[in-house]
Amino acid sequence: MAGRLLFICQLLVRDLRRRRTETVLLLVAITAATATLTLGLTLNEIADRPYQQTRTATAGPDVIVTPRTTGQAALDELAARTTAAGVTDHSGPFPIAYLTMTAHGRSAHAVVEGRDDAPVSIDRPAVTDGTWVRPGGVVVERAFADALGIRTGDTVSIDGHPLRVTGTAVTAARATYPYAGWHYSGSVLVERGGLVWVDRSDIATLAGSQSLSYTLNLKLADPAASATYPVGDQLTTWQAIDRLNGRLYSDAQMTLLVGSWLLSGLALAGVAGIVAGRIIGQRRRVGLLKAVGAGPAMIAAIHLAEYLVIGLAAAATGLVTGWFAAPVLIRPSAGLIGSVNAQPPALRTVIAATALALTIAVAATLVPVVRAAATSTIHALADAATPPRRRRWRIWLSRRLPTALLIGVRINARRPRRARLVTVNTLITTTALVAVLIVNTQAVHFDLGYTALANPRVERGEQATLVLTVVVCVLALVNAVVSTWTAVLDARQPLAVARTLGATPGQAGVGLALAQLLPAVPGVAVGIPAGIGLVAFVSIGEVQYPPGSWLLATALGVLLAVAALTAVPAMVATRRPVVDTLRSAPT
Amino acid sequence: MVLRARGLTRRYGRDSGLVRAVDEVDLDVPAGQALAIMGPSGCGKSTLLHLLGGLQRPTGGQVWLADRRIDTMSEWASARLRRDSLGFVFQSFHLMDELTAMENVELAALLAGQPPRRARQRALHLLERVGLADRAAHLPSALSGGQRQRVAIARALCNEPLVVLADEPTGNLDSAATLDVLRLFEELHTAGQTLVVVTHDPRIAAVADRVISMRDGAFADDRQVVGAATGTVYGRRR
Repeated sequence: MAGRLLFICQLLVRDLRRRRTETVLLLVAITAATATLTLGLTLNEIADRPYQQTRTATAGPDVIVTPRTTGQAALDELAARTTAAGVTDHSGPFPIAYLTMTAHGRSAHAVVEGRDDAPVSIDRPAVTDGTWVRPGGVVVERAFADALGIRTGDTVSIDGHPLRVTGTAVTAARATYPYAGWHYSGSVLVERGGLVWVDRSDIATLAGSQSLSYTLNLKLADPAASATYPVGDQLTTWQAIDRLNGRLYSDAQMTLLVGSWLLSGLALAGVAGIVAGRIIGQRRRVGLLKAVGAGPAMIAAIHLAEYLVIGLAAAATGLVTGWFAAPVLIRPSAGLIGSVNAQPPALRTVIAATALALTIAVAATLVPVVRAAATSTIHALADAATPPRRRRWRIWLSRRLPTALLIGVRINARRPRRARLVTVNTLITTTALVAVLIVNTQAVHFDLGYTALANPRVERGEQATLVLTVVVCVLALVNAVVSTWTAVLDARQPLAVARTLGATPGQAGVGLALAQLLPAVPGVAVGIPAGIGLVAFVSIGEVQYPPGSWLLATALGVLLAVAALTAVPAMVATRRPVVDTLRSAPT
Repeated sequence: MVLRARGLTRRYGRDSGLVRAVDEVDLDVPAGQALAIMGPSGCGKSTLLHLLGGLQRPTGGQVWLADRRIDTMSEWASARLRRDSLGFVFQSFHLMDELTAMENVELAALLAGQPPRRARQRALHLLERVGLADRAAHLPSALSGGQRQRVAIARALCNEPLVVLADEPTGNLDSAATLDVLRLFEELHTAGQTLVVVTHDPRIAAVADRVISMRDGAFADDRQVVGAATGTVYGRRR
């Protein structure tokens, strides 16, 4: 047993060394899928952990009450809350006003909270730069300051009153920008806005004629009990704030998780194409192994071990890439503190990424590996390629086509499985691109929050979409080139024969390119409705579809890209002298 | 002359590694002649055949086919020439595995742009001519070596070429199959088809009316055969 294992390991190491390019391509394909999945799954943790750390660091409240009433009525209403059952401590009530802040020529809604200089027991915002509030100064929530480009020492204006920024701070008592809970007085419609703190003595001046609202922070004997509180426009809990902060990443997370499905499909198609080519190359060795006594199980183990090792390596690479890329890509809100990568990825993320990588590796390799293991020894020793399949109707149809098309159709008829992989590749690519197109077409019907500032949630969604698009395109490109090159190798002999019969190099090259382009057409045709269906399936609201001309342009773009990608290796292949091919490929 | 070469040269490598595969060969092949080129392995006879057929470019000299110089032709023009004026027969047949005998033969006509129906009729006629009409629907894997080579010969004849160039056409065949192919060449020769056959097999020389011996890329001997194609050299007809 030990001897067999050693033998398998020796062959494994040699194969990996000998076929470095293919190994790297396999690694890249599977890593792309696992990294995207890790990114998607990691976002929850990235959003959740800093909030918990911020909550601890700032003595965050369990329940925050902000009555709809204002002035003395609000204070009276809040007074009763401080002695409610289960409440162990409180801070406030703090006066708040819903105003507009202008900085560097840009305006945004600002929830202005009046604070004292002295620290309180609940909700002590952590100053991340500068100093805490003082008369005539303002402290800006860090994410809000980031969005407006405010730094300590700048002068901002709140409803026309100039104030000097004395510092920036973070809190767990309100969600970070843009979910600070700004609304017009008396309205329940919450708009985008950020939080600022001013000296309690300044707030009445800033509010002008607007009557002040008040907010009260409560600490419960059992913080988890706050989950039972009815969250609404007058009351919120730390769990609700945590969820609200998570909304910043929800679009990005959905994009990445759905993207990881698509990338898994692309990786599967790519790996299957590469593996099919490798197994053909290893046919003779299969014969030799069988001749010296290796059984089908041993043959299968030798080949599967290689792909399992590549799959595990890709899972590890994808996990590390996704884990480290997540904070860089998604930027956990600046309104929170704490390191997002202080702990390793969650076990469920590790399991999911590893399972995905191994599934891709095994699913793509099982059929060719089993087929190789079942090949007769004599046949394998003769190094005879699997005879091409005969597709009677395609041959019949191709007789009526121009030479290049005839060649293209017949190349595909020889290896229908490879043609199907091309279809899958273009189907997934088109699906992804159409989905991205639709996502970018979505109009924001109710963009509550007049401001020229970009919506950070949309920004993060767009970044995730960009990353996904790039990875999909790169993987699709790799798949297209690998598929064409495999076709080139497989079709060398029939193309050489066709050239001795009078086909020009141009016809042979175009035929090869068409062999890739033809199966891409149904992939693109199905990819458009599939992309539309995918967005409709995962979207909650109404889906707005892009104009038909955009979809058509996407379809043509994919086909043009396939044509361009395949034309180069096809033309290179036809430059090889016919005589060399005929000598090296006996029939 | 249907085929003419002057100073035809093909060299590989350079300096001490220089190999003269074909070394300044002059050749005239009149229409209807059956020419056998013989010689030991590596003497350059296959390379000469490839040069005459435009499959390889010479490093020196000129080649004319029906008074058209072909060694300076573009790839496109060479392809067109092969399609219309030349037929190739190879030692290892080079049939498409997934195509039937009929489809293999008609492929040449289809590539030449003939309508499918006419290509099919031509292929059927040629398969009858090579005695394989009853095997038209068979895949190459279901044919014997001799039958495969006869299909390859039918394919070479499909576009009524000026010259058929055959490279060791009996090299992979047993004696019986070799006799079949030899008979076919004899019939072609009798019908006036110009043949250039590269071979090791002295029996093929018996159907040729001219035999050239090659050595080290050059012609060592060039002789006319009197009374060739009598069918007596390679046994009785069935």
